Amino acid sequence: MISARILRGVAGVAGFLIVGELTIRFGLTDDVVFPPPSLVLWEAMGLLADPVFLSGVAITLTNWALGLIASVVIAVPLGVLLGSLASVERATRPLLEFLRPIPSVAIIPLAILLIPVDSMMKVSVIVYASLWPVLINTLYGMHDVDPLAKESLRSFGFGAIDVLRRVSLPSAAPFMLTGVRIAAGIALILAVSAELLAGGTGGIGVFVIQAGSGNRTDLILAATFWAGIIGMVANSLLVLAERRLFHWHQARTGATT
Amino acid sequence: MTRTVRARALVLGIAAALTLAACGGSDTASAPSGGKGLEKTTIKVGALPIPDPAALYIANAKGFFKAEGLTVEPVLIQGGAAALPQIKNGALDISHTNYVSTFLAASKGEKIKVVGDVYQAAPNTFNLMVTKDSPLNSVADLKGKTVLVNTLKNIGTLTVEATLKVAGLTKDDVKFVEKPFPDMANALSTGQGDAAWMTEPFITATQSQSGFRKLADTMSGQTADLPIAAWMATDEWVQKNPKTLAAFQRAIAKAQQLVANDRKEVEAVLGQYTKIDAKTASVITLGTFPTSLNATRLQRVADLMLEYKYIESPLDVKTILVGASG
Repeated sequence: MISARILRGVAGVAGFLIVGELTIRFGLTDDVVFPPPSLVLWEAMGLLADPVFLSGVAITLTNWALGLIASVVIAVPLGVLLGSLASVERATRPLLEFLRPIPSVAIIPLAILLIPVDSMMKVSVIVYASLWPVLINTLYGMHDVDPLAKESLRSFGFGAIDVLRRVSLPSAAPFMLTGVRIAAGIALILAVSAELLAGGTGGIGVFVIQAGSGNRTDLILAATFWAGIIGMVANSLLVLAERRLFHWHQARTGATT
Repeated sequence: MTRTVRARALVLGIAAALTLAACGGSDTASAPSGGKGLEKTTIKVGALPIPDPAALYIANAKGFFKAEGLTVEPVLIQGGAAALPQIKNGALDISHTNYVSTFLAASKGEKIKVVGDVYQAAPNTFNLMVTKDSPLNSVADLKGKTVLVNTLKNIGTLTVEATLKVAGLTKDDVKFVEKPFPDMANALSTGQGDAAWMTEPFITATQSQSGFRKLADTMSGQTADLPIAAWMATDEWVQKNPKTLAAFQRAIAKAQQLVANDRKEVEAVLGQYTKIDAKTASVITLGTFPTSLNATRLQRVADLMLEYKYIESPLDVKTILVGASG
């Protein structure tokens, strides 16, 4: 039952907020100043009527979307190529395994130094960070293709391109989408982090810098609240897309989510 | 078949989006236009969301830049030191910075120039604060204690060191810990530090909300009226854009004159680029807004940095000022 699940989720969130509210109002000593959830939510609602904040959200989301799209455009073909050619994969694997664990946030200062156009700098770090989950999942997907299906097609005289188009790509597609979903979350982290470190003319992170300098912890948290909501919505939409596009895949792998 | 058509449309769309994004970056490098012969008519100027650079926003709002044929796009920066790579690679043309960061960079051989004075300390604009029931009552009590500053090895630690000296202490008698301004109050209340070097609006907020006390004004005696903030640009930019710089300096000087004479001008513009509300703006202590770039006054900062070993050899500030007097 979906409605029962949603109900339980809402109860969990409400419980968390109430505990937070009570702890901050009565549990903390008067000396520690921290905005309670009720104030943060109130300010968060107020931000919906703040044109500066909204244009900032638009800037952050534009960078996010461009970065995510570019990383898909790069990582999916690359993953398919590496996944199809075992020798090339073996040759590039050490480099990939070296680059992948570098915390993407750590390359932001380098990007600030090297890329003079602000939006380009931000999109670049997003691309760098979200490349990996898409690439690695595409690779997994390509490895996971049923060898029997490939063999069957080959024995019927289909060429390599046809095997790729009719078997490998459809079979790997659900993995790719999962990679995109993971990348979407990482891309949002990078979009906001780049703004926090580099500033800019607008954005969720830029708004947070402003709020911090003005001693407005409530506004910092309210902006963070919306960043969280955006991440959650993006994730839910992609989960929905996975379910609708690839329900056959879930049936095959026995996934129940 | 519809599936491949759709896929192709998607690919085309993505390609178009990327092309547009690539083109979007080049619109700022506009060619000289207008009768003033400016090398550059649109410039990006970095500024922190604090009271110091009020003149930038006033000059924009009152059309002083426009009158010079200049379009100024303010960009919020994260800090003076963080803006340095941005002026070096051209992401910013001019940026707000603090003197200590700038002189540190200059002494390390960075080719940068100070092109305008922005902000100067006044009494009670940078205080060492303690909680209301803190056992500390004088600077001498800080021996062996932890002092919170927003950035290590910068203006905070420098002026605290000068304050310690008066009480017969040195930097080795305290422990400096880095903490962002918004987190300092709670850090003091929870015992993560014993005193914090704060500025406005945090001084006023912690005094009124939590009853914090001032232990010392770090801008007194040797550091009284210490120059704080400046406009900086790279040597290269200054050489390539002399007319643009002169136009910027003329326009910002007009605005600086206004804020120097009337704090209401500052209060009115704060809401535009900071999150300091009108009520807070009317009660916080402001520094002063110098209307000239004075070498003698700024040399004090470099000499102070030499005395406390922030720089290793004397720095003649005249060599890095553009458009200075005195």
